[in-house]
Amino acid sequence: MPGWHNATESLQEVGRVQMVGIIQEQHPDRARLFMQWKQMGWPILVDSYDLLEAPHVPISLAIDENGVIRNVLPAMRENGSVTEDFLEESFGSARDEPAAPTPRPDVAALYARARSEGSAQAWKAYGDAIAVWGGAGRVDQAIDAYKSVVSEQPEDGMAHFRLGVAYRMRYDSDGRRDGDFQKAVNEWSAALEIDPNQYIWRRRIQQYGPRLDKPYPFYDWVATAREDIQARGEEPAPLAVEPRGSEFASPEREFVASLDAPPEPDPLGRVLRDEDQFIEIEAVAVPAVVAPGDVTRLHFSFRPIQRTEAHWNNEAEEMVLWLDPPEGWEVETRMYSYPLPPEVVSLETRVIEAEIRAPQELGRGPITIPGYALYYVCEDVNGICMYRRQDLEVEVRPRR
Amino acid sequence: MNTSARHFAVTLLPLIAIAIPSEMRAQSSTPSHNFEVGTPFPTLSFPSLDDGRPASIADFRGQKVILHIFASW
Repeated sequence: MPGWHNATESLQEVGRVQMVGIIQEQHPDRARLFMQWKQMGWPILVDSYDLLEAPHVPISLAIDENGVIRNVLPAMRENGSVTEDFLEESFGSARDEPAAPTPRPDVAALYARARSEGSAQAWKAYGDAIAVWGGAGRVDQAIDAYKSVVSEQPEDGMAHFRLGVAYRMRYDSDGRRDGDFQKAVNEWSAALEIDPNQYIWRRRIQQYGPRLDKPYPFYDWVATAREDIQARGEEPAPLAVEPRGSEFASPEREFVASLDAPPEPDPLGRVLRDEDQFIEIEAVAVPAVVAPGDVTRLHFSFRPIQRTEAHWNNEAEEMVLWLDPPEGWEVETRMYSYPLPPEVVSLETRVIEAEIRAPQELGRGPITIPGYALYYVCEDVNGICMYRRQDLEVEVRPRR
Repeated sequence: MNTSARHFAVTLLPLIAIAIPSEMRAQSSTPSHNFEVGTPFPTLSFPSLDDGRPASIADFRGQKVILHIFASW
């Protein structure tokens, strides 16, 4: 995309061609950072829910003055250039009637129609409208609408995909509920089962899945982009959700199970349990369904619970996670630690990711991977600080 | 719509395309998408990244547009 930008820069400057982008991404502000880095200032439209039904990216199109597609453009190298004939060859001369923009949908009318008709199609139209235009505050309604679609039409892969996008959006918001991330992954998996050719759907799972499944690292450019932008004396565009772990880990070509065996931190289970009192844990496997020998990526997120005014205490040792995989399952290492932030107390959501490989022989039932976390936490109601353990488990299902 | 026929089609097609291993391959293969040369680009509105206001490709009438459908991953 910077290729076409560079190649047509002089044409853009004199207004002979307009670059426009539509992004197919769960976290659209990452595209803003990318554009800032590459110094491309053209308009970007956000299509996280894939309303366009684009089966893959990138797609480059030459669209004429009347909104008609005149050419599918090939990829352009960053240092490529176009000749004078480019405009005539790619766009021709417009001769069709101009296309009028579709107005923003009437969400209330679509809701009324969905309520009265109750059809999958009506719920989908309402879901699309509320998902795209309702913002983070209306994601619950989008989820309900798409759930109505998939219960009516379980084979609608696009509805499963969009339901997954909405769950993941809620997971990233303050309105997050238990299990949102797992539900997002499950819906994306269901969508791919229905249509494995949808590259955009596949990418959402790959984004959070094992490194081996990635054709290339997804967000490794972010650190370099920030450095380059700061070196220019600019402030990098902020990101609502920092890419982490699986999202920017370089793909490794083999799964490396660690040979060293760290000592188990609490083998007798003597540390007092935090039973969802101070820290809430969400544990998700991506993908949640594995074949023999497959690698899956486990995401553990730890959030201080607001009700008890809990917060992290960072004055002692690092938080650790211990995994106790069942016989035959391999992990990179059994012990993971979370580096402490510099502040004495903090409230961040902590994420630890791990990869685990299934054995060659898998039974038929779900497999539970147990583990526990050890951390220092304080609560402000009584002003007490504690060292606590919380047991956790992730469920993985064998592919049938 | 005949959903069973549609399902049949989408479950057979993957056998051809599922082995595409990388972004590079996706770029160089013949694009298969809903955007046909000679047809109007969909006039759907989307929130704009800058301010969330509705924007559509139809807003750029009168201009030659190079449209990129992309992601930053």
